[in-house]
Amino acid sequence: MKTDPIREKRLREPWFAARRELSPRRASFLTIFSFALPLLIWSAVSYLPFLWHPDVELQISADRENVTTVYVAGDRVSREFFPEFQEAVRQQNKPLEAGLASLDPAAEATNGAAVRRANKKTLRQLVPILAANQWITEEQAKDDAAIYTSWGEIAAGKKVPTRPQLSEENLAIIAKNWAAMSKVSPTYDSDRFVSVPLLGLVPQGRPANPDYLPAPHEVVVSGIKEFTAPPEAERPSMWQRVGHSIRIVFGGFLLATLVGVPIGVLCGTYPVFSKVVEPFTDFFRYLPAPTFSTLLVAIFLANDAPKVALVFVGTIFQLVLVVANTTRRLDLPLLEAAQTLGANQAQLLTRVVIPGILPNLYDDLRILLGWAWTWLVIAELVGVKSGLTEFIETQGRWRNFDSVYPVIILIGLIGFFTDQILSALSRIFFPWTSEASGKANPLAKAILFLPRWFQKSASVHDLPADASGQARESLTNRP
Amino acid sequence: MNALVDPLSYREQSPDVRARFQALKERPVVLSVENLYKTFPTPGGPVTALKDLSFQVFRREFMCVIGPSGCGKSTLIRILAGLEDASDGQVLLDGKPVSGPGPDRGMVFQSYTLFPWLTVKQNVMFGPRMAGQGAAAEPEARQWIDLVGLSRFENSYPHQLSGGMKQRVAIARALANRPRILLMDEPFGALDAQTRSQMQSYLLQIWKNLDITILFITHDLDEAAFLADRILVLKANPGEVNEIIEVPVPRPRTPAQFVSPEFIATKYRIDHLIHPEAAHEMDSIPFPRMTVAGDDVE
Ligand SMILES: Nc1ncnc2c1ncn2[C@@H]1O[C@H](COP(=O)(O)OP(=O)(O)O)[C@@H](O)[C@H]1O
Ligand SMILES: [Mg+2]
Repeated sequence: MKTDPIREKRLREPWFAARRELSPRRASFLTIFSFALPLLIWSAVSYLPFLWHPDVELQISADRENVTTVYVAGDRVSREFFPEFQEAVRQQNKPLEAGLASLDPAAEATNGAAVRRANKKTLRQLVPILAANQWITEEQAKDDAAIYTSWGEIAAGKKVPTRPQLSEENLAIIAKNWAAMSKVSPTYDSDRFVSVPLLGLVPQGRPANPDYLPAPHEVVVSGIKEFTAPPEAERPSMWQRVGHSIRIVFGGFLLATLVGVPIGVLCGTYPVFSKVVEPFTDFFRYLPAPTFSTLLVAIFLANDAPKVALVFVGTIFQLVLVVANTTRRLDLPLLEAAQTLGANQAQLLTRVVIPGILPNLYDDLRILLGWAWTWLVIAELVGVKSGLTEFIETQGRWRNFDSVYPVIILIGLIGFFTDQILSALSRIFFPWTSEASGKANPLAKAILFLPRWFQKSASVHDLPADASGQARESLTNRP
Repeated sequence: MNALVDPLSYREQSPDVRARFQALKERPVVLSVENLYKTFPTPGGPVTALKDLSFQVFRREFMCVIGPSGCGKSTLIRILAGLEDASDGQVLLDGKPVSGPGPDRGMVFQSYTLFPWLTVKQNVMFGPRMAGQGAAAEPEARQWIDLVGLSRFENSYPHQLSGGMKQRVAIARALANRPRILLMDEPFGALDAQTRSQMQSYLLQIWKNLDITILFITHDLDEAAFLADRILVLKANPGEVNEIIEVPVPRPRTPAQFVSPEFIATKYRIDHLIHPEAAHEMDSIPFPRMTVAGDDVE
């Protein structure tokens, strides 16, 4: 293919040049990359077993004597502890081997009943493996006869577990145990069960991250499950929770706006208001809003009122000060010009100050709406816990972090897209600002850019190399 | 001293010009400034910006005020507009003392002060609207926009206009109130040289065709000499009347007159009043020699 001078030039542009605009192509690429990068890192840490993975997720667990904590398959233990755990089981097995080998099927041990009970536990150690290989169903998890048969099949090599594979060590243990078990009874019979201790399976596991970092697919699966689950009597559906949370945020925020914007504008316009209102407001905004939660419950009682009130209290003081500052930033010469054109005090406020600050006011409110969302988390814990935060709290306490993440991400997405939409609308609301006629929103641009980009790269590949070269030439050679 | 120019030749007026000034001074006084003082209280003690300033502007006169930077020109015009109070003395408009800003004195600022949220037409209609006129002001607003040559842009927002266009709208906006006097504080100071000279010709055209008196502040000698009937030259620190120059350049003014003897004499005089020691100052600065001997340019 012939070299394309435009493309050549574009490739030579520096990536690092102080305060120099990137080409739209690169800007869009980087915007997408800024979202792709954290996802990539998350996926890498989750799916590449050699990255981090400080724990071992047990696939086969075991009881150990003298240990109070009982681990079951699916639990996580630290990587340092795991070999210790395995070794303990091996030590436990060692004195048992002789007894098992010289088993007399007819003899009944002195403490036979207790040993049998322990042996049945050992029998069931294989259940997670059998279930993972889909040799038994969930209902059969306690069906000792089926499990007993499977022991035999594995010992005979008729069935070879693949996920996970059994270690040689465990296969040997299964064979030794089965030899003893089958000597007593070829099929399961709870009365005719080995009465000398069986060897315990040595724990097996795979590298895992701590439960607070679930893998992306786990989060997606849990997310879909949580968001499609129908509501139950005491448990609202996820979308009901989302609606509830949004109502509280916007309720508190709109109230704060209705009260705060007029006060802020007056403070920014008339020093007399500023001096009366702002010093106290400035003091009050440092009082942490959460400390008012009990007070708010006392005043507004239960339900949503204290929650809305908390978002209100958390937002309004900042809002008044921010709006007052924005109002003060209005170009003073505009007010002077209006006065020389005959505007009186009332007209200055309604015809100059208010229209003049609207675009900046709008931006302020956008930022403050983001703050309101952070107050939501505290507000929903006030009084009767509710909404998304209640869900996060409960699931977090049960360590169901794979269910917690989708909700956290959803809150982020709601906030992010609200802001993006509001920012795009600002261009429509305020056509007189220079931004309105200037650059489009970078994210919107990046999203719009994606299909074009694919199209472009596809079309270049579709054309035979010569054809595309010729096409370009015929364009550039035109007189 | 420069032998090419007789320092006092600016006082020689041709009979036409003399007759013009005679007629001018017989017209009624629109603006009268009497013993005006302005002192600003500052942390470092009071700063006197204007001291005992007195002058008169006649009906339909074009008066320029010139003076070095910081001599109080803006302070003066802000007092005239009513945006600032005088410390002492008074300002009379048509014989009546002014207090506070009002639509009888239009003002054009150096910074762009169009309302960004209003279109050109809405900006021009702002004054009449404040006075309670509604849609009735629209046809007249169109006329003012026509007058400054921006009919094509009447629905544009200020951010879409160039600097010169913005100031033309600002002039139309001030004129739409039908003020007695138009106060202009370095209105073309931020424009490039070409646009500025265009705007000057423009302003003269407007002034000629309207019943309007203009007080125009500038620090540009050419601008003052080209536009003004009379030039009020201020002294610096504090601002005092230095001299009121009657510009001997005949009207109508054209850029060709920039090289006329009257024009040059006027500029020379202003320059002399503003920077009396300028020439000697430069001589007294000890410049180290940084060139090889014999490589002289003068
Ligand atoms: N608001 C003010 N407070 C204190 N000093 C001021 C104020 N406005 C102007 N001055 C002072 O008055 C003098 C004249 O200022 P100004 O009228 O802006 O000058 P000019 O427009 O001729 O450049 C300057 O020395 C300036 O520092
Ligand atoms: Mg000034």
